[in-house]
Amino acid sequence: MIRLLRFSARNFAIGYVALSIGVLALFAAPLWVAWRERIEGARNEFLKEDAQRLSEVFGREGAAGLAAMIDAQVGRRRGGEKLLFLADSSLSRLAGNLPVWPEGIPETPGLHAAWITVEGELMRVGMMGTSLPGGYHLLVGRDVTRFKILESLFWYGLIGASGTILLLGVLSGWMVRRSLLAEVREISRTASAIVAGDLSRRLPIQGGAHELDTLAQTINRLLEQIEQLLHGVRNVSNAIAHDLRTPLAELRSRLEELSVTRPAPPEVFAEIDTAVADVDRVIGIFNALLRLAEIDTGVRRSGFVQVDVAKVAAEASEFYQPVAEINGVKLSFQSAGAQSVPGDPLLLAQAIGNLIDNALKFAPLNGAITVAAARRPGGAVEIAVSDNGPGIPDGEKARVSQRFYRGDASRGTPGVGLGLSLVEGVARLHGGALELADNGPGLRATLVVCSTAATETPAR
Amino acid sequence: MKVLLVEDNERVANFVKKGLVEAGHTIDHADNGRDGMFLAASEPYDVVVMDRLLPGSIDGLGIIAALRKAGSKIPILILSALSDVDERIRGLQSGGDDYLVKPFAFGELLARLDALVRRSQDSSAETTLVVDDLSVDLLSRKVTRGGKPVSLQPREFKLLEYLMRHADQVVTRTMLLENVWDYRFDPQTNVVDVHVSKLRHKIDAGFARPLLRTIRNAGYMLTADD
Repeated sequence: MIRLLRFSARNFAIGYVALSIGVLALFAAPLWVAWRERIEGARNEFLKEDAQRLSEVFGREGAAGLAAMIDAQVGRRRGGEKLLFLADSSLSRLAGNLPVWPEGIPETPGLHAAWITVEGELMRVGMMGTSLPGGYHLLVGRDVTRFKILESLFWYGLIGASGTILLLGVLSGWMVRRSLLAEVREISRTASAIVAGDLSRRLPIQGGAHELDTLAQTINRLLEQIEQLLHGVRNVSNAIAHDLRTPLAELRSRLEELSVTRPAPPEVFAEIDTAVADVDRVIGIFNALLRLAEIDTGVRRSGFVQVDVAKVAAEASEFYQPVAEINGVKLSFQSAGAQSVPGDPLLLAQAIGNLIDNALKFAPLNGAITVAAARRPGGAVEIAVSDNGPGIPDGEKARVSQRFYRGDASRGTPGVGLGLSLVEGVARLHGGALELADNGPGLRATLVVCSTAATETPAR
Repeated sequence: MKVLLVEDNERVANFVKKGLVEAGHTIDHADNGRDGMFLAASEPYDVVVMDRLLPGSIDGLGIIAALRKAGSKIPILILSALSDVDERIRGLQSGGDDYLVKPFAFGELLARLDALVRRSQDSSAETTLVVDDLSVDLLSRKVTRGGKPVSLQPREFKLLEYLMRHADQVVTRTMLLENVWDYRFDPQTNVVDVHVSKLRHKIDAGFARPLLRTIRNAGYMLTADD
């Protein structure tokens, strides 16, 4: 039953046709009943009354009197709308406008309906048979052939109407199905293209209040998510290829050289220590990449809790404070109270830590770094880390958050070039962004965290 | 201490075995889940090192869950190549006491095992921690060295408290990051070292015997021994 009820263009058309015919039947049935009851019932009453009256004439004037009266009423002509027939006990004609006792009409008294032939003409009759004393039989009837035509017209009309409905139903069902199929085919063609690798394809949106648009839009959003994820994977693999190969190549040549030259033990141990440091660097890059990938998938959004970002920023500032002191940089924190948003405290701490770490690398001696937490008018929370270092030229701003990008100013500083990518990833995960602006002089890096990030559907 | 190592990778197992034996510990090794489960349940170990992914029907987390269900309170360190934060949480939720991601430095593993065993042994609620003439009162939060008060900021106090609780043990930078600051990322710059040297300046400066030592390639140790 459930299977039958499942929506499809064909089932819909079948259902629609069945419903229309049902409605038509509901409309025709009372008409039919009224016809039967009123018209035929009234006619039969007339026949009964006629038969009654003629029987009384027979009672008064006998068979000959009745025959004379019948002849007077219907004349000698055959047929006619009104039919009268008087027969004796052997059913031979005594009077009336029928040549013989009509075939198909029994001798028993009562109402009979039959097709009879009069003078080679087929007619539909309703007959009232009456048995008279002395074995005489009287038939009183009406030719209802013309009513029959009306009746047929009624039936033909009904059948014609049903047929039209059926035809229109099938036709419109077919058309709906065809247009649906065309759209479904378009969706399926796009999906096939995507399966074949063309992820940039999107389903067409018809515009207006088209039924399939909602579906198409949902699928398009899904595709965007998939494309973004794949993009992330591709970026990570490019990054791995690019940046892991270099230290691995160094490590390999170092070990190979050791194996070939076989120097004295103290030198060997020094080389081994350097090799271990190389490996640690590779592991560090690897961990950073994995963390980035983890952030990019958005999976961590499921573990969001309410976080006071201002407190996280305050703690991060405190954490880096001794380093600032050693570098001769003034690191200060400003806040306008608690700023609670849904988020991942570990990642936010790491992101803010990266921004401060970055600022510490570039702030000059006796420079100043300010970490400020504030709520924006729209409800988003921003953590701005400003320094008075060299800043980033406008042309480079868009590129610094790319993976492994290292600006000219950062040559010779430690780091693998993933720091700002991570900050950007964390910001995106929290429905925000990383904004880089001039601090005149210096850089003002702002981590924006949206207070509604957790109310979005988590991208799982 | 007596250590049970459940690890299927032979090279990693030998590396850990050799290191622990050199450090003067006894070690039993199982290379599959079933043997590991059997040994853990039948022998009295001080600590278990459990690899997460094991051949056979039962994996590391399964064994830990089963041991905990049977009422075992033995400290367990999980070794895993899975580094996601969620994986770490899952590991600790199944009953593990610490989680170390592969690849790891042996010093890190040893320091964490020491810390785990120490934690499981001193269950007494101490209110005063003492190392040599350095004393920390946890209730009044007063620190004195040789009777003279030492003034510490809250985070410095937490750092010192952690070092005191693990006195005579190597404590790694990662352990400090995780336990003192609750951070689980590599801050790239040597922030932890700077914090430690600041603390060292406050507690050791002006005293003949330094208590807070740097252990090369490993971390730090607060100790009165020479």
